[in-house]
Amino acid sequence: MDFELTPDHVTLLDALEGLVKPFTTAPIGEVPFALGNEELEAALVEGGFLEIAREPEFGLVGAMLVVERVAQLPFAVEAANSAFVGPLLGEGVARPVCVAEADRLWQPIRFLRDGATLVILDNQGGASTLTPATGTVSADPESLFAYPMGLVSADEAARALPAPHLDGRDLRMRANLALASEATGLLRAALQSTIEHVSERKQFGRPLATFQALRHRLAEIHVRTDSLYWMTLRAAGLGDPGEAALAALHAQESARIAVYDFHQMLGAMGMTLEHPLHFWTYRLKALTGEYGGRGRQAMTAARLLWPEACAV
Amino acid sequence: MDFEWDDEQSAFRETIRDFITRNVPADWEEIAGHGPGSEELTHKSRLFCAALAEQDLLFPHWPVELGGKGADPWHQQILAEEMWGAGEPRGAQYMNVNWIGPTLVRYGSEAQKERYLPPIVNGNAIWCQGFSEPGAGSDLASLRTSAVLEDGTYRINGQKIWTSYAGLADTCFLLVRTGPDRKSGISILLVPMDTPGITVREIPSIIGEGDIHEMFFDDVVVPAGARLGEEGQAWEIIDYSLRNERLGIPRYHLARKTLDRAVATLGKHGAFGEEAVQIEAARAASLCEAARSAIYAIISRRAHGEAVGPEAAAARFATVMAERAVAEFIVEHLPGSLGSAEPYLKMHHQRGIVAGIASGAAEIQLNLVASSVLNLPREPR
Repeated sequence: MDFELTPDHVTLLDALEGLVKPFTTAPIGEVPFALGNEELEAALVEGGFLEIAREPEFGLVGAMLVVERVAQLPFAVEAANSAFVGPLLGEGVARPVCVAEADRLWQPIRFLRDGATLVILDNQGGASTLTPATGTVSADPESLFAYPMGLVSADEAARALPAPHLDGRDLRMRANLALASEATGLLRAALQSTIEHVSERKQFGRPLATFQALRHRLAEIHVRTDSLYWMTLRAAGLGDPGEAALAALHAQESARIAVYDFHQMLGAMGMTLEHPLHFWTYRLKALTGEYGGRGRQAMTAARLLWPEACAV
Repeated sequence: MDFEWDDEQSAFRETIRDFITRNVPADWEEIAGHGPGSEELTHKSRLFCAALAEQDLLFPHWPVELGGKGADPWHQQILAEEMWGAGEPRGAQYMNVNWIGPTLVRYGSEAQKERYLPPIVNGNAIWCQGFSEPGAGSDLASLRTSAVLEDGTYRINGQKIWTSYAGLADTCFLLVRTGPDRKSGISILLVPMDTPGITVREIPSIIGEGDIHEMFFDDVVVPAGARLGEEGQAWEIIDYSLRNERLGIPRYHLARKTLDRAVATLGKHGAFGEEAVQIEAARAASLCEAARSAIYAIISRRAHGEAVGPEAAAARFATVMAERAVAEFIVEHLPGSLGSAEPYLKMHHQRGIVAGIASGAAEIQLNLVASSVLNLPREPR
């Protein structure tokens, strides 16, 4: 047992740090909720960061480190499913990579657009894939989620091709690891942003952060975020579907608990478009509903952990 | 980086499990249910620890020069997980091997070592920890029990409370005030519990027998040689001694084992098919594994020779969340287990409530995280 990152992982993070440096602050002024960044996305692709899980010395742990760091940026770029699920789909798979459950295709899907790769998970452990044709995905620019959201037409969804060569169990595990890794980075960034605000903002003659009513809640969110980081890293390293489902569940639970606290502590400032908090919190909100939300995620975990008891 | 136990670590865990199976009586779960401070468990612990000592399994993590095997922190954790997961058959003696023994070796006089170490290493010494007082709980440095040095003896007067194992302890690791300064006015005395003037009263509790007590010190006289270290050195000594105790008992391990047992019981009765029950069980499991991961991350750093700082407080709080989630699950879905039907589940429930209170309250852990991990500006005093 050893949780210390390898020298390869440290080198990877150093290289990534150099890449993300120009993208750590959001542009000033009115910008869309779903703030993408093509330059950042191109740099990640070109640098091979989204392919990192294919390299044996990095594996899924490498993907976790990349996704977690990129999620801390104010920009929403599709890195998570590309890094975790993409390697199962073969060389040169079209990005963005989107994952959805078969019975939820009538809901908007994160990053879905014409020409994307959509992986559809059924609840029998199987999967199908679809590359939506031009004009079959309607974007929802009015969505409050800070991701670009796309809705695929029912007719087009029905064209999805079964993919018997894909292991649905492995796909779901990787999708869960992608979710948990991204949520870790989002929680970390939103927490840091909130800490900065409450440490500077003074009321009653002292910084808000000196009030224990806030300190304990921030500390508890740190406990959740830090444990989520290690739990996701461990699940990625083990490649264990049950542990990955537990990590995704912990991520969704923690996101739900933390998001309103972050906004509560920023008060009206957190409601402005000027402050970047919503870039992270409104992505976290989207993740809490991913794959059926906490309830379904918990049932997935329960069936992996205790198959015999569930079968009775 | 490796998230699996290696062969040697797995073999060590098997050795411990096997030892426990062979060395606890058939009705062990019933006995353990009375609590680690109960008369029955304390009696059994003397036999159990003596047998552990014979097999060199009582303190393998002590350095070689202290008589241990110099095993790494993972071995200490494996040992602690298996013992606590089995209801802690070492009873109160887990404290001896975790910190009292090593503290005596580092700070004790030759006479103290000669007197107190042999029973500890032979697995036959019960200590209690005289720290908390009626007016000094989380704010330990405000303690008032006084020790006045006169003619080569200390005269002790005062009161301790919430002291575990005091009723059956041979010796007390006692914090006393020898000077006015909040922290540097505190000293440690090693006090035999049969010294005249000590009165112990058990406080009936919901967590088991013999677990919490009041201790009264009325003109208790001990020789100056009972002092551990220098006068006023207590804070430094306990800071050092408890450094490796900051992660606390591996409660996440018993919590997860208990949860698995509860799920198996529900399954046996065909009562785990309901989605609402599965959801709550998975929530509790996720908190157990979150806590385990946070703790392992810190042990890993320790195994690489790094000092453990305030981040241990975050892992401690994660454990409290896990412990509570499992206890809540059982109360809600297996209420009968708080009776006599499932001693193991009952034992977890009785002990679980202590998680956020003993050895540094949960709020103290959160304060530490806020100030020393998140670096928030301090609260005004």
